[in-house]
Amino acid sequence: MVRTTFRHWRASIGQYLLLIAIVAVGVGAFNGIRQASRAASANFGLFNEAVSGRSDFIIESPSQRISEDTLSALGSLASYPDWHLVPVVEGSITALDEKGEPTGQLRLVGLDLLSLANLPYVAKRPIEFAEEESTWHEWLGSEKDVWLGRGTANKLNAKKGQRISILASGRVKEIFVRKILDDRDLSVSDDLVIADISTAQGLLSRKGEINRVEVVLERAELREDTEYLNGIGNRISSLLPEGLSVGPTKNRAVDRAAMTAAFRLNLTVLSLIAVLVGGYLILQALDAAVVRKREETAILRSLGVNGRILFLTGILEAVAIGILGSLAGILVGHFLAFGAVGMFAETVNALYFATSIEAISLTWKDCATGLLLGFLFSLVAGWLPARDAMQTPPAQILSKGDWSPGFLWLRNPRFGLSLIVFGALALLLPTLSIQGGSRMPIGGFLAAGAWILGSALLSGQILVCLAKFCHGFCQSPVSRLATSRLMDGSSRHRLAVAGLVVAVGMVTGMFQMVDSFRSTIQEWFDVRFQAELYVSERGVTGAGSVNGIDPALLDELLLDKSIDYADVMYVCHAKAAQGITLLAGVDFDAWTGFVRQIWLKPPGTIRPSSGAEPALVSEAFARRFDVLEGGTVELDTPKGPKLVSPIGIFSDYGNEFGTAAIAIDSWKEWTGADRPINASLYLADGSELEETKQRLRLSYPGLDVRNARELRDVALGIFEQTFKATSALNAIGLAVAFVGLLLGLFSIFDESASTWSTLRHLGFSPVQFVLSAGFEGAGIAVASLAGGTLSGLAMGWLLIFVVNVQSFGWTLLWKVPLADFLIFGLLMVLVGFLSGCLSAIHWSRRKT
Amino acid sequence: MGPSGSGKSTLLNCICGIEAFDRGEISIAGKPLSALSQRQLENLRRNSIGYVFQSFNLLPTLTAFENIEFPAQLAGVDRDERMDRVMHLLESVGLKKRAGHLPDALSGGERQRVALARALVHRPVLVLADEPTGSLDTENGRQVLELIESLSKEHRTSVLLVTHDHASTRICDRVISMTDGALVS
Ligand SMILES: Nc1ncnc2c1ncn2[C@@H]1O[C@H](COP(=O)(O)OP(=O)(O)O)[C@@H](O)[C@H]1O
Ligand SMILES: [Mg+2]
Repeated sequence: MVRTTFRHWRASIGQYLLLIAIVAVGVGAFNGIRQASRAASANFGLFNEAVSGRSDFIIESPSQRISEDTLSALGSLASYPDWHLVPVVEGSITALDEKGEPTGQLRLVGLDLLSLANLPYVAKRPIEFAEEESTWHEWLGSEKDVWLGRGTANKLNAKKGQRISILASGRVKEIFVRKILDDRDLSVSDDLVIADISTAQGLLSRKGEINRVEVVLERAELREDTEYLNGIGNRISSLLPEGLSVGPTKNRAVDRAAMTAAFRLNLTVLSLIAVLVGGYLILQALDAAVVRKREETAILRSLGVNGRILFLTGILEAVAIGILGSLAGILVGHFLAFGAVGMFAETVNALYFATSIEAISLTWKDCATGLLLGFLFSLVAGWLPARDAMQTPPAQILSKGDWSPGFLWLRNPRFGLSLIVFGALALLLPTLSIQGGSRMPIGGFLAAGAWILGSALLSGQILVCLAKFCHGFCQSPVSRLATSRLMDGSSRHRLAVAGLVVAVGMVTGMFQMVDSFRSTIQEWFDVRFQAELYVSERGVTGAGSVNGIDPALLDELLLDKSIDYADVMYVCHAKAAQGITLLAGVDFDAWTGFVRQIWLKPPGTIRPSSGAEPALVSEAFARRFDVLEGGTVELDTPKGPKLVSPIGIFSDYGNEFGTAAIAIDSWKEWTGADRPINASLYLADGSELEETKQRLRLSYPGLDVRNARELRDVALGIFEQTFKATSALNAIGLAVAFVGLLLGLFSIFDESASTWSTLRHLGFSPVQFVLSAGFEGAGIAVASLAGGTLSGLAMGWLLIFVVNVQSFGWTLLWKVPLADFLIFGLLMVLVGFLSGCLSAIHWSRRKT
Repeated sequence: MGPSGSGKSTLLNCICGIEAFDRGEISIAGKPLSALSQRQLENLRRNSIGYVFQSFNLLPTLTAFENIEFPAQLAGVDRDERMDRVMHLLESVGLKKRAGHLPDALSGGERQRVALARALVHRPVLVLADEPTGSLDTENGRQVLELIESLSKEHRTSVLLVTHDHASTRICDRVISMTDGALVS
């Protein structure tokens, strides 16, 4: 038995290699995405580690800023011999090319370079910040001296002694490359610029302010000793002034990892689809092999071979493919990770926090997961065809009855119906909270899966009904034959339809999601952005790199005579019990007055709780902290815990963490900061928009001055970028579905061999045969389109009203892009027709 | 007639142009097959030849009625005429009541009678019947043979009947024997 199986392998080695490759790609995609997203978000931005070594504790304030007066209160901490303090200032700067255009975002880290030498880590492997002959006092207190890692230098094409223009805090400045740190085994990320702390403060226009203080233990050997660590932690904690907190560095990694948990989960779900789709292809291909070997199997059966042995060999075959494929997939995934990691890091940077790429690592766990995944899916994919082979009747009665006994259940609508009911029930499940305050719409995902599978199973019914309907109108022998075959609705036809329905459902669901998102954002823009000009820090993109604009610079700009009113916004991070959120300072009178928003609840419709600061909150904030109907949320600020209470809720599609906007004065008082993020300018009557824009741009080269249209283009550009991965996935899904259709049609024609031979005797021409196959393929496509569009509408509804609301906290306007549907439908029917023709041509070639 | 494996089916396939042959020549209605193109051979099968198989070979997804109608459609007979012919043939083979059934629901004898009607509906000049009684019991075989005899007379069609048993030859005007791929008498 095993011998005959392997004889088949040898005969069609190409096909089996293809199957192994399919598994490899599926498992590879899953594993690669896992590794890449881990590497992209694991290194959460302690950029100084490369120079100062690992720290054990971090002292920080909730706003991530420590001002000078607080800092001086830390003096008492510095005198203990058990630990070293490493103050860090950190911010993003943008390098400019010769033409003054931004080329790349860099991370400037300021450290006290003189005291670094005392650190145990540095003492062991001293870093040379200067050549032998020069001395430290040459650069001490300098305004522009920096050190680049080898990676950064290569990226900027910079050499020692070079001057480079940069943008920082809205101003154009210059840095001087004092030396390139040729790291022996120092893994410096490729966007790192190191400077002395006062130099960095100067460049970032943040004199007297740092981000955090890291604590490095003198006795490195006690690092893992929990008791010792707790003792140190408590001691530091007791010495800290109000508004500062200390925590183990490890916790920060966990916090940050939790912030991206939702993002990584979505990626995992997406990559699971790749595996699923691979499984479907294997199923189709193995099934085709079963059909091809049907006669041989039947003969074996009549010779008395046990059905169970047939089943076992079928499973064995699938598992062999699965294991070989996933072994290859683990390799593929590792390489894929190198390709994808940059893209993921960019996304994490843009949406969450500053990150750099960590070395991609392949762990034993990855290997095991990959292997298990490939094994499980090929087992399931092999199970159905193997069962079908097992149920092959002995040769004597092969010609009678259904052709594929193992798939009879496909004709039973009970499975599909119960899946749909199950999906509806799953919607009642509450969301699952994951660390970091993100929520996972578990019910939504389950319902999506169940509905799409259910409709895939039920779509066979649609195929039969449609074919019956058309059959009555058909007069030509070709269409008559094709519709009659579809009417019969064999299990194999239904399997092909099911695969396509899943693909169509996914694609049309995504169409709606993207279109709804796009039009919602457009509408939001039209309402929200009524000012003439918008000013922000230039070159800076992404949530992780908010420096803010130098207040003095913005004050100067706002004196411009053509500006009538400026809506200046201040933003910083704030901690609430459920996780990190954003606290904004805005002109409260203007926001409750003439500044337009899409209000879910206009200001004043919710009564603020007494004793709490009134706030205008975003929808995401209100849903996340459950204050849609009012109430209070406690936020941790440098001035201790503060209460905010919503008086109005506005739509915001900027971030999923939520924003609470309070009056600027309170914001400054709570955070101790004064750096604005952006300003919306309303021009005075009679001033020329274009002229003002150009004038401001010329005078403030470090700031981006955009009109509403430009701002909108930038935002929509980011949006389209984010959805690129989705469209790539859609394309893959469709391609796979059609390969599945081709394989399916192939077995269908294999099964009907005697029909074709009869037709030849009756004078049916090859062209007629190809045409009728084409109609069959098109018919399958039409039925799948009908079933898939229905389930796609359900997907769209789920994505917009359940998944988005639950996981991001925003409501979108539901848009169904009919034109896209139509084009997509026509394309599908055409491709279905061609697939039919193609497989018929291929089939008859192989037979003669 | 001839024993199994003597080349009877192969000969029929050659006659209808499905199988190629190395030597000799086959002429139908005066036209030599080797001079015909693939398309002309198809037309020949469509218009001038009817075929009855040992294992019926009805199209499994078409009803009895549609199976009989199919060759007429292929030959381009217009709709009304087609209906008339099919109804008439169904009556002749005694299956009027079973017109709407799929082949699966018919017995062997019934299936072969449908196949016979299908072979005649486009008024061919020649019907090739490859062991039409080979899969039937004696009673059904007898019925089918009788039908072949009567219908070929009614439709003025020649029938080339292939068989390996003597009993079937009683309806034949002329008997040719084959062994090992050659005619022997
Ligand atoms: N004239 C011939 N020359 C060579 N081979 C032949 C000839 N006639 C038949 N054969 C071969 O003999 C085998 C059996 O022929 P077949 O027509 O199926 O026999 P029958 O229908 O009489 O049982 C086939 O493999 C066929 O290729
Ligand atoms: Mg024969």
